[in-house]
Amino acid sequence: MANMIMASSRSLIRTSTTSPSPAPSQKLPISNHITLPRVQLPLLKNLSLQIPIPNTNQTLKSLSVLAATSLALAPPSLAAEIEKAALFDFNLTLPIIMVEFLLLMVALDKVYFTPLGKFMDERDAAIREKLSGVKDTSEEVKQLEEQAVAVMKAARAEISAALNQMKKETQAEVEQKIAEGRKKVEVELQEALASLEQQKEETIKSLDSQITALSQEIVKKVLPTV
Amino acid sequence: MNILLCSINTLKRLYEISSVEVGQHLYWQLGGFQVHAQVLITSWVVIAILLVSAILVVRNPQTIPTFGQNFFEYVLEFIRDVSKTQIGEEYGPWVPFVGTMFLFIFVSNWSGALLPWKIIQLPHGELAAPTNDINTTVALALLTSVAYFYAGLSKKGLAYFGKYIQPTPILLPINILEDFTKPLSLSFRLFGNILADELVVVVLVSLVPLVVPIPVMFLGLFTSGIQALIFATLAAAYIGESMEGHH
Repeated sequence: MANMIMASSRSLIRTSTTSPSPAPSQKLPISNHITLPRVQLPLLKNLSLQIPIPNTNQTLKSLSVLAATSLALAPPSLAAEIEKAALFDFNLTLPIIMVEFLLLMVALDKVYFTPLGKFMDERDAAIREKLSGVKDTSEEVKQLEEQAVAVMKAARAEISAALNQMKKETQAEVEQKIAEGRKKVEVELQEALASLEQQKEETIKSLDSQITALSQEIVKKVLPTV
Repeated sequence: MNILLCSINTLKRLYEISSVEVGQHLYWQLGGFQVHAQVLITSWVVIAILLVSAILVVRNPQTIPTFGQNFFEYVLEFIRDVSKTQIGEEYGPWVPFVGTMFLFIFVSNWSGALLPWKIIQLPHGELAAPTNDINTTVALALLTSVAYFYAGLSKKGLAYFGKYIQPTPILLPINILEDFTKPLSLSFRLFGNILADELVVVVLVSLVPLVVPIPVMFLGLFTSGIQALIFATLAAAYIGESMEGHH
């Protein structure tokens, strides 16, 4: 920055020192205008001020005007020297960044958002299905249990019914057999009784004959003399 | 006089070492136009980081995720949550836009703060976060504007323009003004935050390089992350606002 001020002041001094010298040698009509100093492109180091030959009696006035214009022009020249701090510098970068962002969006969508998103959603759905599936099978199990209980009840009823029926049948059979046996026994009893009666009668008869015999014997014995 | 010159010279040298380059860009010529090359270079690095890490991690998704896959799933869930909260039920198609906005700005800001860009010496200007340039932030803000216009028009057709007289027609100029202030505020909020944070850190480092800049650096990481979130949330909010149904 100090360089710039020194440069501008150096040129100022140079022009002011060179201005009076060519004055006496000029015989042409002198125009008393002062052209505006030309500011060259930013890459040049020094200002170049071009001033036509002023009149000697107007040197002071021209010098003051020179000083004013150079001082007024010093700030833009300084900015040109420092290469314009450009914060709000819009250029082709803007649309290029837009295009880059859109391409990045498409690429990320294809590589990251869609595949991973789909994967996550599928995993969520599978887990949810499994959870709900677990709940359903517990109900199924309950149903199956009820069915089993019912089947057991039916089976038990069947068994008891069959059992009862078999009991009845066997009881009937048993009674029948008992009746038969009783009959047989009665028949045999009757036969035995009959045979006994018969034997009794036979013995009585035999006894009768024996009794007469005995009685005769007794009589004979008792009555020996007869 | 000699001593004075010497001290002036050393002062000048110190000034040059500790100088802060603000608004100095590396210019490239493309056709008849200039571009800020340092912004393009850093944006390519950010894009490379995003794409390479995404490709590497999401290659073989496992049902029980690995650490990287878990992190990316967390990021995707976060983005989906932001979109869903702001846009509502039809948030699906907008997740890539909001997500890319968030990720690009976040990685740009953090790359500007964390990566050692100063190692690479540019002929003019320096490498930094791509979001410290007005072109980037205005580009993103304009894209957001286009996005919410597109959302409203594709959902409601030309009836979208009825929203300008929505509560009362008296608010018509304010509603029109809103269409200009929305991108303006978005771009300048991001630009100002990132550039100012960079400047503060650089100035502090040039003044007191030992321990003092570190809390400011952490603050910078925090606020730049928040700015990415704010940009993405506001983008989603504008999209949701233009898509929402009749009152």
